Amino acid sequence: MHELLLFASVPSHQHHELLQQLTGLTAMQPRHCLERRLIFKATRKPDLANMRSGTGQGPDIVRLNKMLNGQMFYTQVVGPLSEADFDGKPSSSDSQDVSMSGTHEAAGSSYDYDSQPWRLEFRDTPEAGFRSTITARLAASAALPKGDVVPSMNAWGYSFVTEYVVEGDMFIYNDIVIFLHRVLQYPATGQEPHEPRRQLPSFRDLAPLEKTGSYILQAAITVQDGSNQELMRTASQHLFGLREQLKSAVRLEHADRLSLDTRAR
Amino acid sequence: MTTLSPDHLKTLEQSRQRLIQLTHSLGSLITSLNQSDPLPTWSSLQTQASIISNNLQSISTHLSENHELLRSISALPAPEFPTKTHANTLEQLLRTKLDPRVEDWVSRGRKADNSAIQGSSGSTGMFSTLPSASAAGMNAGVVGAGAGGRLSEDDLAALWEWAPVEANSEARRRNWGGNFTLEEKERGIQQVVAELGLKRVLEDDDESEEEDEEMDVGFGGRIDGAPDNAGAAAGEHALPLVPINEILRYMTTGVMPAVR
Repeated sequence: MHELLLFASVPSHQHHELLQQLTGLTAMQPRHCLERRLIFKATRKPDLANMRSGTGQGPDIVRLNKMLNGQMFYTQVVGPLSEADFDGKPSSSDSQDVSMSGTHEAAGSSYDYDSQPWRLEFRDTPEAGFRSTITARLAASAALPKGDVVPSMNAWGYSFVTEYVVEGDMFIYNDIVIFLHRVLQYPATGQEPHEPRRQLPSFRDLAPLEKTGSYILQAAITVQDGSNQELMRTASQHLFGLREQLKSAVRLEHADRLSLDTRAR
Repeated sequence: MTTLSPDHLKTLEQSRQRLIQLTHSLGSLITSLNQSDPLPTWSSLQTQASIISNNLQSISTHLSENHELLRSISALPAPEFPTKTHANTLEQLLRTKLDPRVEDWVSRGRKADNSAIQGSSGSTGMFSTLPSASAAGMNAGVVGAGAGGRLSEDDLAALWEWAPVEANSEARRRNWGGNFTLEEKERGIQQVVAELGLKRVLEDDDESEEEDEEMDVGFGGRIDGAPDNAGAAAGEHALPLVPINEILRYMTTGVMPAVR
């Protein structure tokens, strides 16, 4: 699976306007997205025999193995959140079986780390010189078991580095996924924890990584078969088409390849 | 018959040129209809139609101004005319009757003209132009509108019946409220009102002012009540301090921008 990408920086004062423009362009209401992203770094070459059989079975695991075997990479574990998850008060995770997407207005806070679904997202370093005007990279993702992912990730030879929250709005425009987002950081609590937080702070305490509150506009097309040159060309033409359409609002560009370098050194 | 004076030659030459113009504009209309896909826009069709109509009108005026001369002269081939190579042209020139197709057109035009200008006995035709034939009649006949310059009472009534409903439904589809231009809004409506000496500000501007306020709130205090700690404090139009590549790097590897 390949991903073709264009990025643009959006100052915070332009954010609201751009949301409206994108709503008009795509003829859909923005889909608000909240995700917590955990960054893991490969520490040693993974050992197949080391894999625990209890963590799950099936084709996903096979794919994961392929993904993680080989060079050492940074990789991300992404978990979807809802705003109701940020309320501070920890819930008794053992007593009730809370569904994450459920409608739990009554229970003020209900973040339950043990039932947090996760998705492993691997992104390769962008291809060098694919087309200097577009970012293209190999991408793969797979579902992970719910709850605490750290033991599984450790078993695969990955250690937790840091985590942050991404909030933003998503649009679909034909085959393009437009994601207007920014990075939020957890409030500083002395030292960086060495594992993912089990409880989430209040949403208001999260601070944007970029102090002025600017956003990143990401336009992406996923191509299932990256070796098909015809498909890749069509996809990049679609992205260029979008770039032309948004030209008066934002300047979509490819990202610096090294800033998306996922190789662990 | 005496030889033609320079004036007469000039008249003939002018007729020729106007006819060439007409052929050109008709030709270009036909090509654009045949070749452009989708069909040309209505505005360009209208432009072409009005060009053609102008051409026709100038030809008609020209012909009726000089009809005495044009009726009195006739074509005869001179000995040096290249008969062998231009036989067709020669035949056309020597015709005394019109081509049957042209005959049809002319009679259709006359009929339309007669029905259009009732009472006026003027008939319009290229070759028997009477002074009373008006250029407008010629137009109507040839362009084929059939209705001529005037609408009948019934048509007018029907138009009046149709127009208000249609205008209303068209108006409903639009977003009204353009009492002030964007420029004026940016300068401040109050100021503009003062300058123009307006007695009262129309309602819809109150609304748009409210909208402006809402927009401001939208900028500062985000849509869904998410945190906005730094954003507002740093000023509305602050440009991002951290370059996008640094943010992407953080998102990829967790390296803080400040550290690098």
